Amino acid sequence: MFYEQGDDVTSVDTERTAPEHTDHRSVLAQRRDELAVRVEPKGSRVYTARERAEAFVDPGTFVPMVPLRKAGPTGGSGVVTGWGSTSGHPVVVISHDAAVASGAIGAVFAETVQRAQRLAIDKGYPIVYINDSGGARIHDGIHALHGCGGIFANNVEASHVVPQISLILGPCAGAAAYSPALTDWTIMVKGQGQMFLTGPEIVKAATGEDASADDIGGSQLHTTVSGVAHLEVPTEEAAFEAARTLLSFLPNRVGGAAKVVEPRPADPVAVERLPLVVPDKSSVVFDMHEVLDGVLDAGERFELMPTHAPSVLTLLGRLDGRPVAVVANQPKARGGILDAKASVKISRFVEFCARYDLPILTFVDVPGFLPGTVEEGRGVITQGATMLRAYVEAKSPVLTVVVRKAYGGAYIAMGARSLGADFTWAWSGSEIAVMGPGGAVALLHRRALKEAEEPTVLRDQLAAEYRENVARPYLAAEAGIVDDVIFPEETRGRMVDALRLLSHESAR
Amino acid sequence: MAEARAEIVANVWKLVASVGDEVAVGDVLAVLETMKMEIPVPSPSAGTVIEIPVTEGQIVQEGDVIAVIE
Repeated sequence: MFYEQGDDVTSVDTERTAPEHTDHRSVLAQRRDELAVRVEPKGSRVYTARERAEAFVDPGTFVPMVPLRKAGPTGGSGVVTGWGSTSGHPVVVISHDAAVASGAIGAVFAETVQRAQRLAIDKGYPIVYINDSGGARIHDGIHALHGCGGIFANNVEASHVVPQISLILGPCAGAAAYSPALTDWTIMVKGQGQMFLTGPEIVKAATGEDASADDIGGSQLHTTVSGVAHLEVPTEEAAFEAARTLLSFLPNRVGGAAKVVEPRPADPVAVERLPLVVPDKSSVVFDMHEVLDGVLDAGERFELMPTHAPSVLTLLGRLDGRPVAVVANQPKARGGILDAKASVKISRFVEFCARYDLPILTFVDVPGFLPGTVEEGRGVITQGATMLRAYVEAKSPVLTVVVRKAYGGAYIAMGARSLGADFTWAWSGSEIAVMGPGGAVALLHRRALKEAEEPTVLRDQLAAEYRENVARPYLAAEAGIVDDVIFPEETRGRMVDALRLLSHESAR
Repeated sequence: MAEARAEIVANVWKLVASVGDEVAVGDVLAVLETMKMEIPVPSPSAGTVIEIPVTEGQIVQEGDVIAVIE
């Protein structure tokens, strides 16, 4: 008991405290007035740092952390941190203030960011970084570097615990580019956000190269060529919307509950078309999205890296109301081949999705790994091996269906049974073999082809025999390497049944 | 002026367009063949084909120009 019965705890000497009390109120009011002064955003920016944080979260839910923190007698910390909600789920927001020293990361800035990161890591909330910073604050010297390193360390620690999304809403140099690279997904606003180690002036001084900020680190470069960023959007609002949508597919933390919604049937038009999507001729390309439309729940999809390594698709969708991760070859782009970049794209996606226990649905139509000097020089062996590792280590449900062809090492890499897939199927018209018919015949019948009078006729005949006798999916099914051979229209039902089994509470 | 480029190392299997043809965006200018797949090369812009620097049967590398559109 803090108070004995009869103590009059409400009795205070108002005569003595009232004037002082009033003074406190006016000081705080004045401090808040100072904070509320709006510094007009520069360039193509629309919002201030605080307004960005407020625009990202559900309306009226943003609560700032340490808003009165100062970096010196006059300046603020240069970063707005706080929390709010997206669709009712908690989220921590860190928004760089480009109006304070170009958003440069000083010692106090870094400490403020780390405080917010710590809250998210310890309690398990996703973190969204709204990046607009020139990098380390030179005036703070090594204290700035120390702070940047601390942010990086927290990025890495958080990556094991909670989703981290980076939005690039201005030029982000040096440390401000490394931190996003340590997060899970990076979304750039076209023409406004850039990421580079050093800006155009220093590049010019160092190497003589004459390049604009967009040349060195624009969204076009990073979402198509480098793969540093994963989505390009036209506006700040679109970046906020994309981040909210992405979070709607993810649990709030590792081990958190899946955000299951009311199941929706697949689009009936796509379902009807499904048996006709794959062309008869095996060399003719098609759009894998049409297959996905005939299998997944109708409605929202979120494709990551749509323009980088487009021969494979990585996207989030829903099946039976449950968020799922989809990996697929895209024959429409470069024939759906695997190469070094496609392997990295898939590895990263599978690792991430498995960490958040999203089922991984793999749709296979792969002619192989692209051979040749260029790919070997890019380290396709290492990247391809990373893809194998990602599937082997994925502990979430893995379901794989071969829709047309799966040859050689690429067959294994696309989530084969041998890598630990829970269930695998092959469509009735598909081919699974150690090599494609052309290559296999050339190797197996080298002498006969050399001696034949009409080698092309013999080759075509042998290839047809190989396709019929060796490459049909029944050999794989008879060997138990695929669970079953199915009609295309059965795919959804098989996957839904398997997911219900694998996500049942008695599993694992 | 716009250039249609090879998106992958391949063999030029079939030239569909000829110099002087009027083409629209997305029209197939040529079909490449690689890994037993037919890879169409679409026109990046509408205009007239003014140059096709490759011949059928030729090997092209990723990024090589297949046709120039004006």
